[in-house]
Amino acid sequence: MINNDSSKYWRELNPNLEPELAKTLEEEFQSSPLASGDGKDGVARRDFLKLMGASLALSTTSCIRRPVQKIVPYVNRPAGLIPGVSQYYSSSWSDGGSVYGLIVKTREGKPIKFEGNPAFAVNGGALSARAQAHLLSVYDPDRLKDPAKVSGGTSTKVTWDQLDEDVSKKLSQGGVYFLTSSIPSPSTRMLISDFSSAFGAKHVAWDPLGQDQISSGQKESYGSAIMPRYRFHKARMIVSVECDFLGTWISPVEFARDFSVGRAPNSTMSKFVAFESNLSMTGANADLRVRIKASQQVHVILGLAHEIAVKKGLSRYAGAPGLRERLAAYAKAHEKLGIEEALWSRIADDLWAHRGQSLIVAGGLSASPGVGLQIAANLLNSILENDGKTIDYSEAPYVGFQSSYEDIKGLIRDMQAGKVKTLMIHKLNPAYVLGSNSGFVEACKNVPTIIYTGSHFDETAKLATYLAPDNHDIEDWSDAEAQKGVYVIQQPTIRPLGNTRSFQMSLINWAYMEEKGPKRLLDAENWYDYFTKYWMNQQRALGRPGSFEDFWHNFLQTGVVDVSGAGRDKVAAARSFRVSALDKISVPKDSNSLELVLYSSVSLGDGSDSNIAWLQELPDPVTKLVWDSYLSVSPERAKQLGVKSNQVVSVKTATGEMKLPVWVQPGLHDDVVAVAVGQGRDMQGRVANGVGANAFKLVDWSNDSSPVSSGLEVNLTVTSEISELACTQGHHSMEGRQIVVEATLDHYLKDNNANIHRHKITSIWSAHEYKGYKWGMAVDLSSCIGCNACMTACQSENNIPVVGKKYVLQGREMHWIRIDRYYVGNESNPDTVFQPVMCQHCDHAPCETVCPVAATTHSPEGINEMTYNRCVGTRYCSNNCPYKVRRFNWFSYIKESSPISMTQKPRNMALNPEVTVRSRGVMEKCTFCVQRIHEAKNHAKNENRKLQDGEVKTACQQTCPTGALIFGDMNDPNTQVSKLFKEQRTYSLLEEWNAQPSVRYMTKVRNTEHLKGAPAHHATGKASHSEPAKAAPHSDTGSTEKGSSHEPAHGGH
Amino acid sequence: MSVLKRSPLIEGNKTYKDITEDICKPIESLPGKGWFSYFVPSVFTLMLWISVVATLIGVGLGLLGLSHPVGWGTPIVTFVFWIGIGHAGTLISAILFLFRQKWRTGINRAAEAMTIFAVMVAGLFPLIHVGRPWFAFWLIPYPNQRGPLWVNFRSPLLWDVFAVSTYATVSLVFWYMGMIPDLATVRDRAKNKIRRLIYGMLSLGWRGTNRNWSHYESVYLILAGLSTPLVLSVHTIVSFDFAVATLPGWHTTIFPPYFVAGAIFSGFAMVVTLMCLVRAGFPQMKSYITVDHLEVMNKIIMTTGLMVGYAYASEFFIAWYSGVEYEKYAFVNRAFGDYWWSYWIMAICNVVIPQVFWFKKMRRNIYVMFVISIFVNIGMWFERFVIIVTSLHRDFLPANWGYYHFTWFDAGLLFGSFGMFFTLFLLFLRAIPMVAMSEVKPVLSVGRDASGGHHE
Repeated sequence: MINNDSSKYWRELNPNLEPELAKTLEEEFQSSPLASGDGKDGVARRDFLKLMGASLALSTTSCIRRPVQKIVPYVNRPAGLIPGVSQYYSSSWSDGGSVYGLIVKTREGKPIKFEGNPAFAVNGGALSARAQAHLLSVYDPDRLKDPAKVSGGTSTKVTWDQLDEDVSKKLSQGGVYFLTSSIPSPSTRMLISDFSSAFGAKHVAWDPLGQDQISSGQKESYGSAIMPRYRFHKARMIVSVECDFLGTWISPVEFARDFSVGRAPNSTMSKFVAFESNLSMTGANADLRVRIKASQQVHVILGLAHEIAVKKGLSRYAGAPGLRERLAAYAKAHEKLGIEEALWSRIADDLWAHRGQSLIVAGGLSASPGVGLQIAANLLNSILENDGKTIDYSEAPYVGFQSSYEDIKGLIRDMQAGKVKTLMIHKLNPAYVLGSNSGFVEACKNVPTIIYTGSHFDETAKLATYLAPDNHDIEDWSDAEAQKGVYVIQQPTIRPLGNTRSFQMSLINWAYMEEKGPKRLLDAENWYDYFTKYWMNQQRALGRPGSFEDFWHNFLQTGVVDVSGAGRDKVAAARSFRVSALDKISVPKDSNSLELVLYSSVSLGDGSDSNIAWLQELPDPVTKLVWDSYLSVSPERAKQLGVKSNQVVSVKTATGEMKLPVWVQPGLHDDVVAVAVGQGRDMQGRVANGVGANAFKLVDWSNDSSPVSSGLEVNLTVTSEISELACTQGHHSMEGRQIVVEATLDHYLKDNNANIHRHKITSIWSAHEYKGYKWGMAVDLSSCIGCNACMTACQSENNIPVVGKKYVLQGREMHWIRIDRYYVGNESNPDTVFQPVMCQHCDHAPCETVCPVAATTHSPEGINEMTYNRCVGTRYCSNNCPYKVRRFNWFSYIKESSPISMTQKPRNMALNPEVTVRSRGVMEKCTFCVQRIHEAKNHAKNENRKLQDGEVKTACQQTCPTGALIFGDMNDPNTQVSKLFKEQRTYSLLEEWNAQPSVRYMTKVRNTEHLKGAPAHHATGKASHSEPAKAAPHSDTGSTEKGSSHEPAHGGH
Repeated sequence: MSVLKRSPLIEGNKTYKDITEDICKPIESLPGKGWFSYFVPSVFTLMLWISVVATLIGVGLGLLGLSHPVGWGTPIVTFVFWIGIGHAGTLISAILFLFRQKWRTGINRAAEAMTIFAVMVAGLFPLIHVGRPWFAFWLIPYPNQRGPLWVNFRSPLLWDVFAVSTYATVSLVFWYMGMIPDLATVRDRAKNKIRRLIYGMLSLGWRGTNRNWSHYESVYLILAGLSTPLVLSVHTIVSFDFAVATLPGWHTTIFPPYFVAGAIFSGFAMVVTLMCLVRAGFPQMKSYITVDHLEVMNKIIMTTGLMVGYAYASEFFIAWYSGVEYEKYAFVNRAFGDYWWSYWIMAICNVVIPQVFWFKKMRRNIYVMFVISIFVNIGMWFERFVIIVTSLHRDFLPANWGYYHFTWFDAGLLFGSFGMFFTLFLLFLRAIPMVAMSEVKPVLSVGRDASGGHHE
């Protein structure tokens, strides 16, 4: 303390200091920590610190509150909405020209699941995996939320008013073109034509998967460009040439359903012969599958035509002028294809024997040449008198497809010539799906204004001038006419999540601003107004009686207006085939080089929904690969090239080059390599970006009649790079075990127990007693086509997470139901079998005994229950499960930070509130959709009755296009499942292990004479047991069974 | 000297005083460079282990190579490995005590310490390996408010909880009991207060009276009797984890004796490893832990090695004889499948290499036995790996088949556990008399002739 008083203590001997220094000494501390006397120094340090401390304390400690989280009850509950009770709306999804009728399940205003609309004749109650997964696209976090202006590849947000003002000005300058996918909506088509008539616009439609070939082929063959409906259910002999009709072609769900009708194992079972280069899911279901080169497709059909009409001189075309000369070149087609003459002749005989009841289908992305193959198929169908019988060209043909190669080529030419001033692109991503030599991207530079209605800032959006994002399908009104007279509504089931506007509303707005257009366009207040007025007229046009109110209400409720009715299956007179059309077939040149085949995959199709993680992690039905693009190479060719799976090769065609890892794929023709389109997005979103490569680039657009996407000449350069492919299946042969039981039709008809090895089983345990229901499921392996729809349905219903490629590589995918795919026979052309495996709900469940905390227990209704809350995660249950159907949460898959997580907003809105979202460290598995069972039981209880058979459907069963899964009460002898369980072809998987599963399988019956695999189990399995496969899991695709080397040429029929 | 004359159990003409001095020296002096050169890396490894375990618990088990078919991997393999090692100590102190094998006195303290530490390490692994370790206490049947929720007594994992915890408790008590007279000696020699206080408390008021000794002897005998069945039961029950399951390759009745033999095998190997190190680190201990001791243990290693080899062979025979295709495949796959290398590492380390001990020279060579004992433990780790991983990776349905992708976390989890073990063991060497003085002194006379023995 410094004391300024006069009596100073001395400090030094010499106090005579200089005054400066003396002062410094006195004020050793430059300022006092206490309040200074004169107050000149302002606030003293101690006071300052006190104040600071206090304010810090006040501002931090006393003011912390938990952030306010308001919950808002339904004070005014919307009419008809009961929280906790699902509501169902009919709606639809138009995937290009393919239309799916939907029942959208919503909870508290949020759509949470798609199911097929049973009233809709096309897909019925079933859906494909892609249609199921389409739900998630409405919640895609990468969707455009606002209209924008784009320049130099970057977008700037604008308001709709600004955009409308700009756009309407541009529109009046003329040169307006529409480029869309096929639009099956008749009202939208009317709107476009109204708009076009006002602005002199031209409408061009394009679908990327080769759908244009069919109508062009029909036009050449019969004179009118229609898309006929194929009646697979009426066909007893089906020949497909490079046509994936069960997977991706036109209307796969409908075809799968119809196909399965004829596949019931009885004396009228259909026979299906597939000729294809790549092993497709469809080919995997064939009774006889023949490998061909991509360039030999026409040879198959015209060769058969020659065999029947020329060689055997059958059919009314036998003497048709010019036919013999035109088919002369195909007289020896079977030699070229490497098929034995006897078999070839037999196929022809069989086809002829089933004339009028057979069906030749060909086409799709892998067709070569696109239109020519259709002409050939039309000829053979005409020869076989199928036209008008199994081919419906008049009653209910497809009317949703407008795709035209000529038109889009014309558009690109007009763009190059500068004729296009404003291009409106809707529901199509041309910069992604058109081949690199189509010239589209370069031609865009000549177009002053491009308006894009796409939902993402994608490849096309980058080239656009304005982004006018369209509403999602389930955010707005529309309709679709799938087949002639078969209409379906598209109802909005959620308010638009972003500041988006329907494409139709945009057109109405722009027409209104420019005051151009017919009266009904200018009078329309909004799209809904225009839309309902269209349907008022349509009601009259269709001759539907009653008031519009009633009609409309009914339409919305059922979702369907179907005037095709009984005529759907009516036989029509055969059209006459123009033999001269055969000259239009440009037969691919013979070449010894390797041919590249592009195909569309079951999970991704044209790639428009590639930003949906469910689809990325959905294994390909055949390769079982996820999250990638890859080049399929046959085992023989791989040996020649010296490549193994996962090795990267450089793929070079005339139009482009890309690097792809190799996948050694049995069943592929040795001269063919194949790659799927749909991947290789770099501007779609957080899920799809950077996955795989875009094979659409390799499509050759220099051809005049159709783009060439098959049989492309290709050069492969093997690199030393390795890129590991994620396969969900560890091994591809059954190793002679009784897993999938197969039988030939003849054998099965003689003995329904064919090839099933039964065991005498005794048990020392007493069985469970089931007093009420006892749930069980039958899986018909004859019906299952391996399409994976059940997997996505289950994923959607049960909130199953996706894990990403890195973890699929470690075998950690989470699907509760999987489809095991095994090859049988030699690896060059094996038979393929599919087997859906979910929790088998064993009566003597090995998992239940070993759980130390009783987290998995047996319900009184026979369900093996999993209590997530109780699970500590020892994984003993999974180890002890012979079927390995349990899935463990290795990480917290619900972390919002992961781009693929279901909890990432707004994706979390798609979660099913009835099913717990599992945390890290717990086991999970199939529950037989216990939430659905309980919902139905509550319902029945309210009505004081027992559940009826079929009232509860599991999600997998509900969506299955072929009805391969049948769920029900085993305690009631009259249910379908009880009846099936009594059938002799029903067996349990690993029966001898005596776990007594509640899921049972039914023999796969093939309409063929020899099975490629020897009869399974003890009889011949021994050879393979003693010799485990040595190669890596994904490469040992061949079977080691002996006596199974029937080449197709010697086999089938 | 007659042929039957026993060689002395303690070498070097020690007096009682010498014994006390020799054994108490490490406790009463500051550690030197040699000890630190082991301790520092051990602690470092322990820290590494703690961080690996913390990451696993914080982030998720997905960091390990565990996958869909292979639900158990490194954690359980290493758990069984350490539990197996934990067998030798109690076997040496209890069973050999009951059989009046006096040579056990030189090594029983250290071997028991090894047991305790091995079981401590082992006991952590099941906790680490469960998905939600924070709920692992649900495996304990305690009264709770969750209604009828109770543990599932049918699950071998639950038996495991009881078996391992009982074994750990009894071993600990047994070890501590045996230590009391020695702790009292240390207390009596203590030159400062704190030391006297700590060892005083630990020695529970031992005064070395007749009554003390009499009680001590009877309790020791009772505990030895209690521990003996436990030595056999722990690994029997651990083997039930596998034998009770339905998985081919696990579902085998030979497992209980096979596991016990394997456990003794690996436990003795670990004792030999540690004793070799102790002899090197504390040369005065060579008088108490003699080559004779080590030779006897090597004989046991060889014997149990042959038993294990027999088990390997009989598994194959039964797989063939049973006619069960899955069983057959499982065993063929073990030896010739994707994991053939692990099988042959196991077979060579466990069956072939110990055959060297047929030669007396080899049995008595410290360097040889040190190397072999390490090989045995490598082999025994792989034995558990082979049983667990190769059986799981290819079971019934080929579509499920997979592979165990070993990650850095697996490596950290395995090697880090040695950090904990060695840290504890090195601390033990400095805190507790590593040879039981009170047991060594009574056998001082064994094997000495009348003239040469005492120099007083």
